[in-house]
Amino acid sequence: MEKYQKIEKLGEGTYGIVYKAQNRETSEVVALKRIRLDNEEEGVPCTAIREISLLKELKHPNIVGLFDVLHTEKKLTLVFEFMDSDLKKFVDASGGDLEPLTVKHLLYQLLCGVAYCHRNRVLHRDLKPQNLLINKRGDLKLGDFGLARAFGIPVRSYSHEVVTLWYRAPDVLMGSRQYDTSIDLWSVGCIFAEMATGRPFFAGSSVDDQILHIFKIMGTPVDPLAPGYVPAPGDSEGPCRLWPGCSQLPEWRAGFPAFPGTPLEPLLPKLSSRGVDLLRLLLAYAPEERISAEQALQHPYFDDLRPAGGG
Amino acid sequence: MTRLSLRNPLLTPEQIAASPSQRRGMPAALEADLRAYGCHLIAAAGVVLRVPQPVMACAQVLLQRFYYVAALQDFGLRATVLGALFLACKAEESPQSIRNIINVVDIVVKRDRGLPEIVTDGYDTEYYGMKNDMVIAEIQILRRLGFNVQVELPYGLLVNYLRSLELTDQARVPQLAWNYVNDLLRTPVYVCFQPETIACGAIYLAAHECSAALPMSPPWWVLFDASGEDVVMVAKAARALYLRPQPRIMPLTEDELDMQLKGTLEQHVEALRRQDRESEARPAPGHAGPGDPARPRSAPSRGRSHSRPRHRPRQSPYRRNK
Repeated sequence: MEKYQKIEKLGEGTYGIVYKAQNRETSEVVALKRIRLDNEEEGVPCTAIREISLLKELKHPNIVGLFDVLHTEKKLTLVFEFMDSDLKKFVDASGGDLEPLTVKHLLYQLLCGVAYCHRNRVLHRDLKPQNLLINKRGDLKLGDFGLARAFGIPVRSYSHEVVTLWYRAPDVLMGSRQYDTSIDLWSVGCIFAEMATGRPFFAGSSVDDQILHIFKIMGTPVDPLAPGYVPAPGDSEGPCRLWPGCSQLPEWRAGFPAFPGTPLEPLLPKLSSRGVDLLRLLLAYAPEERISAEQALQHPYFDDLRPAGGG
Repeated sequence: MTRLSLRNPLLTPEQIAASPSQRRGMPAALEADLRAYGCHLIAAAGVVLRVPQPVMACAQVLLQRFYYVAALQDFGLRATVLGALFLACKAEESPQSIRNIINVVDIVVKRDRGLPEIVTDGYDTEYYGMKNDMVIAEIQILRRLGFNVQVELPYGLLVNYLRSLELTDQARVPQLAWNYVNDLLRTPVYVCFQPETIACGAIYLAAHECSAALPMSPPWWVLFDASGEDVVMVAKAARALYLRPQPRIMPLTEDELDMQLKGTLEQHVEALRRQDRESEARPAPGHAGPGDPARPRSAPSRGRSHSRPRHRPRQSPYRRNK
């Protein structure tokens, strides 16, 4: 009598077990995400409410499809489009050595999905390789919208504890609560670099450590608006280091060690100079200077994808 | 409901013409009062809970949406108020405990009814009833609204519009317009118009009230994607709200709705008041000891929950685990 026949357990999601299953009538293979509703003090989990309410609206080839929501006595079951793997497993399976063209295709699709979310005024807020689903055809789709939210105008302060540490934007790490779409683009930059190197780009173990990891590579940001600022020769190297207003952020400390930053090219030998340029724009310190998803899709790095009709 | 990406879902003309409650025979005026009272409860409870205004607004819009897909005869007002608040707190990232929400809504109701403002005992069957209603209401709202619980609110737009119309230094206009935007939550306006139109309607009325002149060629609302006809309708809805006094005793459950329709609800509430006065005079059996953490110190145990004969509610859809 059940519409779906379970095939195997795929893992544990944010709020329940995920199964691979098959529709008995159509033979379509799907992923079932089970959400138990027996938590007397919580009711329907917050993350489930956000995920379902947003995914029901977002329909795009680069966003995982939510086909159905089934409600039975003590549980909700979300029926998702089945995806074979995720980006983390995909990178690991390649031994951290993805083809440069594969990296480009995947990044393009990631940006298409993010641009679509942002056009519809949805922040994902938790982009990371584990949340990017991949199928055998090489399609990449954004999944796990448990932390996503719709935003209005103007964007008000949201909860601070979002986005897994390694992919968290520096403005969020330093306590900014007025963040916007730019936080997703920082995550995209981190994921881009991780695809190109096979390793997480900024792998901090705590918020402070995460900040230092970023500073070591990108250089400690410099606030041209701070009182007593004197332009130094190294400041204007790369567009990233100057960050107007950074010294006003709640967690900014005058005693941050002053790292000059590292040239990016040697860290990313597999990326073309255009690729490194795009990465720099994604990892711009100042949120308002960080490239948008829409602009990033127009970057010359993707020129060779466009005549063929895109990824 | 039609829906363009993540814009608010709006009603179709057929849905506006006959709500589920009216199709089941409820007079339109009573439904309007019940919607307004439910939203009053949410707003009053939200103030005590100290949740941000967008949470209350979201809950109010969810209640308005819900009663266009479900009838008040089937889903009592109090349960929906509790469920909508619970849901809105989560959707707007300002989670509140079940116990807090129930206590506060319960106290607001008691205040409105002239009953002693005593927190219901955490072990009381009445409390359990409300908790069960609330959890079921939450899932019913989610299901019946197809999980469309994202609500786009006009506050940000309102501020921007006031600024571009150079009305921010006018003493009264911004505050009045803000009040209208809040009060309009008690009407179905939020399920009939997009936030741009609602913000314009509020400004239209506030400017009119203060005799503030606004550009008319072309009319200023055109700049904000609103039609003049719609803006006037929003303003009229706000006006209509102030012409009706809000009754403080409204039917909160399906049973009370029966009483209301038979004209016996006032008597019922009067009987509750009498019972409270009587039970105050009687010695308390005191089942909740001093170690009971759920009982606030300011409300001493009077054993009301045991001494008061309780009205047996009939099985409501909220009590059935669907």
